Amino acid sequence: MAKVTREVVERAGVNVDQLLELLVKNAAAELTTYYYYTILRFNLIGLEGEGIKEIAETARIEDRNHFEALIPRIYELGGALPRDMKQFHDLSACPPAYLPEDLSDVKEILKVLVEAERCAVRGYTQICNMTAGKDHRTYDLSLAILNEEIEHESWFSEFLGEGPSGHFLRRGETSPFVFKFLR
Amino acid sequence: MREFTTDELARYDGRAGAAAYIACNGKVYDVSGSFLWQQGRHQALHQAGADLTQGLTKAPHGADLLERFPVVGSLVLQTIEDEQDKGGIK
Repeated sequence: MAKVTREVVERAGVNVDQLLELLVKNAAAELTTYYYYTILRFNLIGLEGEGIKEIAETARIEDRNHFEALIPRIYELGGALPRDMKQFHDLSACPPAYLPEDLSDVKEILKVLVEAERCAVRGYTQICNMTAGKDHRTYDLSLAILNEEIEHESWFSEFLGEGPSGHFLRRGETSPFVFKFLR
Repeated sequence: MREFTTDELARYDGRAGAAAYIACNGKVYDVSGSFLWQQGRHQALHQAGADLTQGLTKAPHGADLLERFPVVGSLVLQTIEDEQDKGGIK
């Protein structure tokens, strides 16, 4: 733990134990999403599925990067991951992104993907709100992740006919916002 | 539709096997079946068994998300007379 690091955040008025609980829950959401998106991506088959495969894969890898980026901050603030991975799964900030019943309908898979991203957007918005102006490092990290989650949501929602996402997919790179935390 | 006072609602905090109910804008919702309300706790910030109308103003989502959950009643505000009857206010 970084003792002064935690103290300055506490003195700024942040409930660090509550913040840690949220960071651990969101880290669990990222790792479980990485797992469930692996299954979802393998089931994006056929002509319709092919078009979605790349964005599902990019979101999958970036969510894994989010997990990697969150862990050091959890330990810096004096927190820890649960010893039991099953417990870690069940405390996730977002529901499991299970494969839908009807695999022939790519839209059903897209709905699972977009709901997972929306949950993440809400989660990191909450952490940004808690830490803005008070815990600069956690805010910087959460904002970086939030930027990528927003792009994930917009990609999937565009394919659901909810309007333009406003930007291109990644151009051969991943985690353009989070990469600096992955050194 | 059942009416809940705040004291009655507090019994449904999701702990020790109790159902998890929350109130918002006068409606009482059953969130027991939600992954995000296990043991009545939500995102490290809220415990079931309470009126979360004020809490919603700071949440990163609106009341529309609550429409996914069954409504089990309405919240009635306890009056001063109710409190006096219980011996709470002398």
